Amino acid sequence: MSQLLQALINGIALGGMYTVLVLGFSIIWGVLGVINFAHGEFVMVGAYLAWLANEYAGIDPFIAAPAIFVVMTVVGFVLQRVLVNRVIDRPHLVSLLVMFGVSIILANGMKLIFTADFRRNDTALDGSWQLLDGVTVPVTKFFVLLCALAILVGLSAFLQRTRLGKSIRAAAQNREAAQIVGIDVKWVYAVTFAICIGITGVAGALISPILAVQPFQGPPLTLKAFAVTAMSGLGSIKGALGGAMLLGVVEAGLAVYVAGIGTNLAVVASFVVLVVALITRPQGLFGGLRPVDATAT
Amino acid sequence: MSAIAAFVRSPALRRLGQVVTAATLVYLAAVPLLPQTNDATLFTYTLMLTTIGVAINWNLTGGFTGYVDFGHAVWFGIGAYVTAIFMSTEGNSLQIGWPPVLCILLGAVVSGVLAALIGSATMRLKGPYFSIAMLGTFVAMREIVRVAKPVTGGGVGLNLPLYLNRPLFYYVQLVLVAALLVFTWWLRRTRFGSALVAIREDEVGAEMRGINATRTKVAIFSFAGMSTGLFGGLWAFQITSVDPDTAFVELRTVEAVMGAMLGGIGTVIGPVIGATVLFWLNEVVWANFLDFHLIVQGVLLIVIVLYIPRGLVGLFDARGPSVITLLDKWLGTEPGDTYGDDRVPVRAGLGSAESGEWFEDEVESDPVLTGGGTEPGSDSERATV
Repeated sequence: MSQLLQALINGIALGGMYTVLVLGFSIIWGVLGVINFAHGEFVMVGAYLAWLANEYAGIDPFIAAPAIFVVMTVVGFVLQRVLVNRVIDRPHLVSLLVMFGVSIILANGMKLIFTADFRRNDTALDGSWQLLDGVTVPVTKFFVLLCALAILVGLSAFLQRTRLGKSIRAAAQNREAAQIVGIDVKWVYAVTFAICIGITGVAGALISPILAVQPFQGPPLTLKAFAVTAMSGLGSIKGALGGAMLLGVVEAGLAVYVAGIGTNLAVVASFVVLVVALITRPQGLFGGLRPVDATAT
Repeated sequence: MSAIAAFVRSPALRRLGQVVTAATLVYLAAVPLLPQTNDATLFTYTLMLTTIGVAINWNLTGGFTGYVDFGHAVWFGIGAYVTAIFMSTEGNSLQIGWPPVLCILLGAVVSGVLAALIGSATMRLKGPYFSIAMLGTFVAMREIVRVAKPVTGGGVGLNLPLYLNRPLFYYVQLVLVAALLVFTWWLRRTRFGSALVAIREDEVGAEMRGINATRTKVAIFSFAGMSTGLFGGLWAFQITSVDPDTAFVELRTVEAVMGAMLGGIGTVIGPVIGATVLFWLNEVVWANFLDFHLIVQGVLLIVIVLYIPRGLVGLFDARGPSVITLLDKWLGTEPGDTYGDDRVPVRAGLGSAESGEWFEDEVESDPVLTGGGTEPGSDSERATV
C-alpha cells in the first residue's frame, strides 16, 4: 500500500515537472503550427543559465527563474523574428528541419562553452519530507509542482482574460479571421513564441536541481514534451497538466515496480505512450486548440 | 529549350559525365593500391562509404516516400549490436562466437525484421509525427540496449575478436555501396519506385489508384533498415567494440539527413554527392576547428532547407529554379522549357525532388499511376515534357 502511495506521489511530483516542461512546446505548436524540435535544447539552455547563476552568484534556481524567463523571452523573440517567421507558413517538414538545425547548433554550442561535463545544480529546497511510514515527498519536485501550477494559472488567466491572450487564441483558431478583425498576427506569433521560450527556460531552471545539466540532455526532453502533447492535444493547458501527470505516474510506477531497470525504461515508456496515443486518439485525451492530425493526410 | 539547358543536356556533356563517373570508380577501386595509402586513410575512406550507404538508405524512405526519419541510426546500432552479440567471446557476453559473415548477415536480418515490426506501427503516422516517433524509437532502443545487460554488456558494451584487413573491408563496402546505388537507380524506374514517389506526392490519391500504401511504405522501410543494419554490422566488426553511446549516435542520423538534403533529397545520385561532400567537409572542418564542425552542420542544414531545398543536384536541374534558369535570366537567353517558380510542386516545402532521372532524361510514365488527369507539374507529367 505504501509502495503504491509512494509511486503515486512520485508520479504526481514528476508530472509537475513535465507540466512546466511541456507548456511552451504545446502552445508554440498549437498557435504557430511550428514543431519546436529544439525544445529540449531550450530547456537545457535555461538549466545552464540557472547553473551559472548559482555557481557564480549563489542565486537559488527558484529565485533565478523570473530573470531567466526575461532572458529567454528576449532570446525567443529574436529567434522568432530572425528564423521562425520564415518557416511559419511552410509545411511542417521545413520547420522541423530548421529547428533540428537549431537544436544541433545549441547543443554543440553549449558543449563548446561548458564542456560535456555533467553539472549538478543545488537548491535550498532540498531533501524529502516523511509523510507516513515509508512514504516520502521529494521537496524539490514538490516546489516544482507548485511553480508549475502557478505558471499554469497565470498562463490561463493571461490567455482567457487579457486582450493579447485572446488575440493569441484567436490566431490559433483561425488565422485569416483573426487578421480580418484587425489582429496583427505576426506580432502575436512573435509574442507567443517569446513567452513560450521564456517558460521553457524557466522549466530548465526548475529541473536543473533534479536532472544533471549537460549539453545533450535535450532530445529525451523533446520526446517527452512530444509524448505529453500527443496525449493532451495541441495548446491545451488543462491537457498539458493531465498528460504530464499521466506520463509521470506511468514512469514512477515503472521505477517502483520494475526493480533495478525501471528508471531506464522511463524514456521507453514515453515512446510507447506517444505512439499509442497518436495512433488511437489523435485528437488528444483532453481536447486542445486543434486536433493532432497524426493520421490525417 | 534554352541554350544553356540544351548545353547541360548535350551529348558532349553527358559523355563528360560518364568519363568523370568512370574515372571516379577507377580511382576508388585503386585507392588501396596507391603507395601513400595506409590503414588509417583507408579506414577513413571506408567510413565515407558507410556514410554514403546510410544516406542512400535514408533517402529511400525520407526522399522517395517523403517520410522523414529522425531515428534512422537505430538500425545501424541494431546491426552493430546483433553482430557483436553473436561474435563476441569476451567474459561479459553470451560467448557465442559465430563466424563473422554469418553474424553480420544476421545483424542485417534482425534490423530488417525489427524495421518491419516497428515500421508497421510508426509508418501509419504522418509527417512530423512519424519523425518524432522514429526519434523515440532511437532513444528508446538505446535505453533498452543499456538495460539488457546480460545480452548486450550494458553501458560497457561488447568487444569483438580482433580481425583487421582494411583493404578487404574497403572493397566489400565499395561493392555494397555501388550495388545499393544501382539498386536505387533501378528501383526508381520500377512500378514499385513510382508507387513510392506517388505516396510522397499524394498518399490518398495513390491509395485510390490501387497502391497499398502501408505495405509499400513498410516494405521500403524494412529494406532500408536491413541495409543500414548491414553497414552497422560491418562497422562493428571493424571498430572491434560497441557500446550504447558509440553504436547509437544521433550524429549518424544527422549525417544521413544532411547528406541527402545537401545532395538533393529524393534523387538517386543526390545522397551520394551530398554525403561525399559533407564527409570531406567534415574531415576538413573537423581537423582544423575540432569543436565547430557540428555547429557548422547545424547552420548548413538551416541554409540548405531555406535557400537550396533541392540540393546540389537541383542546382543543375533545368526544370525549376536552378543555376541554369539563373544563367538564362542573366544572359537573357530564351527560357524555353524551364518552368517558373510557381510550376514547381513544392511538396513538403522541399521543392520538387524527383530528379531521379540523373542518368537518363526520360522516366517511362506508368499508365496506371498517371492515368489521364495528372496534376500540372506532377512527377509523371514533368518526366514526359
